[in-house]
Amino acid sequence: MAFIGEFFQGLTIADLAVGLFFIGLYGAMTQRNIIKTIMSIGIMDAAAIVFFVMINYETGQRSPVTGPSAEQMADPVPQALMITAIVIGVSVVAMCLAMYMRVVYRYKTADWKTLIRRLGDQ
Amino acid sequence: MNGPIIPLHLLVMLPVLTGAAAYFLPRRAYQAVMFAGTLAVSVFALQLFISVRWGREVTQFVAGWPEIIAIQLVADTYSAPLVLLTALFFTGTYLFSTLAGYMDKTFMFLFLMLESALITIFLSGDLFNIYVVMELAMITIAILIMYKQEKQAVYDAMLYIMMNFIAMAFFMMGIAYVYRLTGVLDLRVISSRLAELQDPRAALVPYAMIMTAIAVKSALLPLFSWLPRAHGAPSAPGIISAVLSGVQVKAGVYLLIRLNQVFAPVVDTRLFFLVIGFLTAVAGFLLAIAQKDIKLILAYHTISQVGLIVMGLNLGSDEAFWGGMYHIINHALFKGLLFLSAGVIIEEYGTRSYAEIRGVLRRMPVIGIATLAGVLGITGAPFFNGSISKYFIQIGAQGSLGEFGLYLVNFGTILSFVKYFTILFGTPEIEPKPSRDPFIAVISLIFGAAILAGGIFGSQAVALVFGPSYSAAGALSVEKTGIFLATLALGIAVYRYGIQRIGNALSAVRTFKFSFNQITVLISLFFILLLGFSYTVT
Repeated sequence: MAFIGEFFQGLTIADLAVGLFFIGLYGAMTQRNIIKTIMSIGIMDAAAIVFFVMINYETGQRSPVTGPSAEQMADPVPQALMITAIVIGVSVVAMCLAMYMRVVYRYKTADWKTLIRRLGDQ
Repeated sequence: MNGPIIPLHLLVMLPVLTGAAAYFLPRRAYQAVMFAGTLAVSVFALQLFISVRWGREVTQFVAGWPEIIAIQLVADTYSAPLVLLTALFFTGTYLFSTLAGYMDKTFMFLFLMLESALITIFLSGDLFNIYVVMELAMITIAILIMYKQEKQAVYDAMLYIMMNFIAMAFFMMGIAYVYRLTGVLDLRVISSRLAELQDPRAALVPYAMIMTAIAVKSALLPLFSWLPRAHGAPSAPGIISAVLSGVQVKAGVYLLIRLNQVFAPVVDTRLFFLVIGFLTAVAGFLLAIAQKDIKLILAYHTISQVGLIVMGLNLGSDEAFWGGMYHIINHALFKGLLFLSAGVIIEEYGTRSYAEIRGVLRRMPVIGIATLAGVLGITGAPFFNGSISKYFIQIGAQGSLGEFGLYLVNFGTILSFVKYFTILFGTPEIEPKPSRDPFIAVISLIFGAAILAGGIFGSQAVALVFGPSYSAAGALSVEKTGIFLATLALGIAVYRYGIQRIGNALSAVRTFKFSFNQITVLISLFFILLLGFSYTVT
């Protein structure tokens, strides 16, 4: 069983983020509840952001704000970019939720399948 | 030849800045200011195009950072004509609907924001910048298509934004992988560093991820379910449908070209996209035939034409490639015109069903003529611009299986437009009344004239806009005209004796909708397919 332990110890945060991304994708493929699918795509977005931030990280690196030498600093580019991506992700998810509220008030359902049926009735 | 008058980042910012400034003015003033803004963008875009076409390409590093670090804006032979097209198109559509009731401040501001976003997509030379402006365009479009909040508009917009958000998550994962492999985000440097990779297969996963996102944006085969909802949305005004179909889908196609070039040192997937393009074109016209709503006929038709463009771009011959590029412009012209006039027709008749609209030519002569020009252009009638680009694409496919495919696609286009054609003729139930809106008439006639001019001066137009010069004389040959007429006759016959008798099957196709979960599965499937294909060819 030792190899399982080694496998888990060898995982980096970036690897875990890839796993999280596909968990989110699985959620978006299988969940019929609209809120759950919105959560799933939020997870996918967050996973992509974590992956991007951790991509060039090596153990022992410091944040790129202060530090004795440049070699010890983490790569600053992903962090600068991901601040933008986080803001975009938040606004898109907020917009999805706002639209979801509209849809729920109008069609009285939170289920994709039922929703499609009720659209057809109109 | 001098460089552009204003720096590229100002060109990108100009529409948004005018929109924001005009937001605080009273109604008359803000319309004038916004129009002046779009007009100025057109003038600058024209000057930029001239300086790129007869000078050299313009590269700008934003904020004065050195290359590699800086965000890059690039205007070259591919992007400059498309920027010009976008600017002119927005000016034209803006004028067209100046007097329409829905043109309030917020709407106009979002409209100009979309213009900025699209121009930036064309000019960006940086992967992350492309990501940001694509998200911006996505949010703006979602608000614009549900602006009037009629019927199922909110559902359409929600499906659109969620589907595209998944695509963008794929895109960002792809960017992250590329950044890990190459350490840069600049497209040109990425390309040169990918060529030096020890193991080119390492670049395939990010390639497949990015291309899946682009395939969603450009509405390729299994991933187009958002397009008819967005473009044919009952609540979207004609001007939005026109802009989305005319320019926004082309941004996806443009990125398809650009990013395939970036990854060219690693992988060559032209065959994959050729087949997908063909299937998209076929599926598009099949679904268009099944529709009753005139805007939906046009929307599904856009899918079919995008398929045709992608086929042209991936056939591998120069003629077909530039034919595809020219078809991007042509399609913007005729589909924009058709959507604009469809919006006016729907408003006038109060219905969207093709069966209830009759006698457009008599009731609204100008709109009728404009529609006629659009239909002739899109079906590739001789003397109209569609015939030239389709002819170039056909040259590239000569002697291969693709040529047969092109005839099939053309036949389908004609077949689906026989249906659309019927709205023009017949006797209107109400007596015609004179139109009070001079802008509509002028703009539709300008678009119509451009469609005709693009056909008559076909090879000159390609040479003028893109550079390479090919003879288009064959497009007017007796043989081509004969083939067109034969296809037209066959189309009418099949429509009359075939399509009209299978109403039940059509209504099943028409009412079928993919649910969100199925769409996500399709996105994943496309990703796996593309990844598998790139592994087999590399």
